[in-house]
Amino acid sequence: METATPSKARTTIGALLAVVLGIVVVAGVGLTLHSVSADPQPKLYATKVGTITAADGKTYNHYTIADGVYPDPINSKAHGNCATCDGGHPSWPSYGPYTDFVLPANSYITVTLTVYDSGEKLNTPYFGSVVGTVDGTVSYDGVAKTSLPPDGVEHTFTLHGLPTSTQDPLFVNVPLPVNTDAEMKAYNADPTKLPVGHKVVFSFLTHGAGNYVWNCEYPCGDSTYQGFGAVMGQLGYMSGKVSVVNG
Amino acid sequence: MTTLSHAPASSRPIPNPKKSLITKLNMGTGIVVGVIFCWGTYFAMKAGRDMTDSHNVNKVLLMSMFAWSIGFLIGIGAFIGPFRWLIGKDLTDEEQLYLAVDGQGWKRYFKYCTDHKVVGIQYLVGVMALLGVGGTMAMMIRTNLATPGSHFVTPVVYNSLVGLHGITMIVAMIIVATGPFGNYIMPIMIGAADMAFPRLNALSWWVLFTAVPVLCSAWFLGGIPTGWTAYAPLSDQAGPGMNAFVATIIIFAVSTAVAGMNITTTVVAMRAKGMKWNRVPIFVIGATISVALAIPAFPTFMVAMIQTGLDRTIATGFYDANVGGSGWLYANLFWIMGHPEVYVILIPGVAALMEIAPVFVRKPLFSYNAAIAGFAGIAGLSVLVWAHHMYMAGWMPSLNGPFMVTTEFISVPTGLLFLVLIGTLWRGRPWMKLPMLCVYAFIWNFLIGGITGIYLSDVPADNYLHGSMYVTAHFHYTLMGAALTGAIGGLAYWFPKMTGRMLNERGGYISFWFIQIGFNVLFLGMFIVGAEGQPRRVADYAHLYSHANLISTMGAYSVGIGMIILLWAIVHSWRSGKIAPMNPWGAKTLEWTVPYPVPLVNFDQPPVVTSDPYGYGRSAK
Amino acid sequence: MADHESELLAPTPGARVSTFLKRKDVSQTLLLWVFFTAVFVVLGLWAYPKWMPVVLSKQMQANEDIMIWFTVISAPIAGVVLSIAAKSFLNMHRGDTPPEDGVAIRTNGPVVIVWTATSVLFCIVAIVWGLVALNTESIAAATDAPKSLIVDVTGSQWVWSFYYPQQNIHTHTLNLPVNQPVTFNVMSADVNHSFWPVQLGVKIDANRLVTTVAHADPTATGPLDVKCAELCGLYHAYMETSGAVESPTDFNNWVSSIQATGGVQQ
Repeated sequence: METATPSKARTTIGALLAVVLGIVVVAGVGLTLHSVSADPQPKLYATKVGTITAADGKTYNHYTIADGVYPDPINSKAHGNCATCDGGHPSWPSYGPYTDFVLPANSYITVTLTVYDSGEKLNTPYFGSVVGTVDGTVSYDGVAKTSLPPDGVEHTFTLHGLPTSTQDPLFVNVPLPVNTDAEMKAYNADPTKLPVGHKVVFSFLTHGAGNYVWNCEYPCGDSTYQGFGAVMGQLGYMSGKVSVVNG
Repeated sequence: MTTLSHAPASSRPIPNPKKSLITKLNMGTGIVVGVIFCWGTYFAMKAGRDMTDSHNVNKVLLMSMFAWSIGFLIGIGAFIGPFRWLIGKDLTDEEQLYLAVDGQGWKRYFKYCTDHKVVGIQYLVGVMALLGVGGTMAMMIRTNLATPGSHFVTPVVYNSLVGLHGITMIVAMIIVATGPFGNYIMPIMIGAADMAFPRLNALSWWVLFTAVPVLCSAWFLGGIPTGWTAYAPLSDQAGPGMNAFVATIIIFAVSTAVAGMNITTTVVAMRAKGMKWNRVPIFVIGATISVALAIPAFPTFMVAMIQTGLDRTIATGFYDANVGGSGWLYANLFWIMGHPEVYVILIPGVAALMEIAPVFVRKPLFSYNAAIAGFAGIAGLSVLVWAHHMYMAGWMPSLNGPFMVTTEFISVPTGLLFLVLIGTLWRGRPWMKLPMLCVYAFIWNFLIGGITGIYLSDVPADNYLHGSMYVTAHFHYTLMGAALTGAIGGLAYWFPKMTGRMLNERGGYISFWFIQIGFNVLFLGMFIVGAEGQPRRVADYAHLYSHANLISTMGAYSVGIGMIILLWAIVHSWRSGKIAPMNPWGAKTLEWTVPYPVPLVNFDQPPVVTSDPYGYGRSAK
Repeated sequence: MADHESELLAPTPGARVSTFLKRKDVSQTLLLWVFFTAVFVVLGLWAYPKWMPVVLSKQMQANEDIMIWFTVISAPIAGVVLSIAAKSFLNMHRGDTPPEDGVAIRTNGPVVIVWTATSVLFCIVAIVWGLVALNTESIAAATDAPKSLIVDVTGSQWVWSFYYPQQNIHTHTLNLPVNQPVTFNVMSADVNHSFWPVQLGVKIDANRLVTTVAHADPTATGPLDVKCAELCGLYHAYMETSGAVESPTDFNNWVSSIQATGGVQQ
């Protein structure tokens, strides 16, 4: 039971090794968590298409991005190009194939969203209004509108961020239109039959570089309180990052 | 109990009730039965249910978690005695002696062992494991906050880290002193042979043990988004991981009720002959007041969580305003538990240091009565202050004034605790060992925690500070800076009695300074960002706060390194530390009159007490 | 140690106090007390005005006053605790055997009474200060109500939005005219949030289907940060927006520009 008292040197070395081991263990846990939780989403970089003169009379570099909004993560391919990657949540709607966007600073960004889902009533009617686009409108299948009825919105693209001394504010809210019940019924019967979809086009100006987030304001987390649980509590479906970068 | 002899263990045959089922059961059988119950319930309930509906998912998961807990307790043999009562029998004397697992070596730590000393060690190891897990999560939190926009982890993981760090630490801190020292040391301190209800003692530990895997399962079920306060209706909305939280609290509340009742009864009924109330060691008084406070407090948390569970499984809507419920109902229930609970955590830590100070200053405890008045006053007022957490909730602004009055008055009994400590230090020549260093660290930390509490309890100042990092810094000063420091002091002090060896001094000192300096740097930074306006529980923040956050993170790493050194010192000393004499500190409480290993029934002869244990010092005249 | 005895042998209380004060350990403790008290006073006077944001309202001024003056008032008491602790710390004994026993002071009635009375007094000062501030604020809220600017605040997971009913505008930033009281009617569309316009020093939770009210008197112009102070899920950290307290002219121009775009701020 009683062991010889270890020498001072051995004790010190043992203690140092224990500390190193401890740090390695904690760092290992941290790095594991980091890699597990690291956003698996591929980033969509905006494509330059030329220059454009905006309503303020200035000329900007013009960039575009295109993405879709789907009733399930399998059609959206938001979580990899395979049918089983997200088998656990086949009924979760999702933006796709991208939910993270990289945009250039001080540029004119045109976004095209093709939307394939249905919707209903917003929790907050305010998000039925178009906010923050270059002319205050959004083109819905070629028709410019300043708002959608708050009880007929599919999802929203609501871009916001931390107001900080080192980044400019950026706020954009775009409500998305619903597809018809008949189309959704057909889709529910056969998930390969997506609705024809609506084409939503809008443009906004970026300012200085900064990190922003976007999320959907339509309560699409079914069977949870106010529809903001389930998919709405997870990244990479109805929320994501927007990085505005220089150069 | 005639078979319990006072003879030393070695001269007594090892009980061996061969045919009894009890000898076959241990933690392993508990886990096997628990897992079978858990998976059995899971698959049975899942069949035929629409698992895309979150309510059904919640039903299945919650029931599976409870099934695990009950299955484990069946498997380890917790219910054999009660079952025998149903058929008009009880455990045989030999079985009872076996349950105390006299002379069975290390295996007793993995059995349903009724010896309070074994339970104390189980709690000690359990607490250290919980603190390790909670501390690791704290390192992750601080790493994510080291720089703005770091994205070390995603907001989903960050929110889970914040919540699970919180609840893990709260659970650990509730049992950190009353678990190990309340079970191992306290019965010896009062001259008792064991706890009043040894089987309930084992039950309280093993019930708590079943909560740990349940809590950990939250990570594999998507985490929790609510923080440890689990405010509704966010908890109604939360994903499957929330069920783990709900089940943990319900199970934990059972454990604390059992333990609280047991400790209270032991102290009331089983004190040695001559140990009148004014001769009871102050740690015993503090621990008893603490658990007595927990007995009424935790059931409200349990009720709050049962209602959360019902909202989540059968949509009762207790907290859902859409169907007539209210989140304020939750907030009230939660804080009716929540504020007494911080004193449940604090009081045993302070009481341990009050036990330590006279021994090392070689002076009597200054004003024993003021210490008791302080504890009793805090405990009494603590049940009347809960709504100070809700000044800004909008629940009942007209009650803000009254709650501010009761809250501010807590500073009076708290002041008495300071008086007792500085009165004991006054004109003293302290023997600067690790337990004594902890007394000084406590005074500094708790002073800052206490004064910032006065700002926070003032409604107009709380208007600004509520929900900010300032609050986080404040309660870490009280719970960690004060209560955990008290528990570390207690561990350093009682380590020789619990392990038979001295805690490595150099390791203890080095860890002490790493922890205390790091702690103060960490939370000074947090006071600054809080005063500057950074909300708490944010995964990201504005650049304005970046310097102080980085300072905080560096402090946190220092605490982390200190804790690892402390852990090394504990493990190293436990295995091969210097053999401790029976009374290394020259203390006068009863636990120092028994040898190590402490005999099964603690004392060969029941002790008789003739004075309080603070008779140090020469007369002033 | 002889002086301790002479102190106790002194004939009158007055003489006992003066011998007490002459003791070396007492004078050292007093010196430490002066030091710690000064540190806390300076900390209160210097740190809080430095750390806390620019004061843009009466409410924020009241908060900052409490932070500063409570620190100053508590400084002497903190000084007593720290000076006695520090003095005994400096008197430490090291080694492997305990030091010889100290003086057996079991208690000291007058000290306990004075200490308790002091903490009660301190406590009453804090309470009265708080109650007066609370009362001043509720009277101001009531008298200001008729002339207040009304802002309906809605917290939705994870965006603040504002509606100004008198101007009929919807906005995502919070702009306010200086020197006009403002009443916030706060609601939540979902879980609990906490509406916190930082530089105004007010805060109120947003609850589903209940309107809670907060009131502020902006007294200076400057930028405003609006945050959420109640954990509300995934993007709690990003539930922030900006705004400003501005001159009435600037505010009116801001309102007109929004009214020109259909009543929705772009």
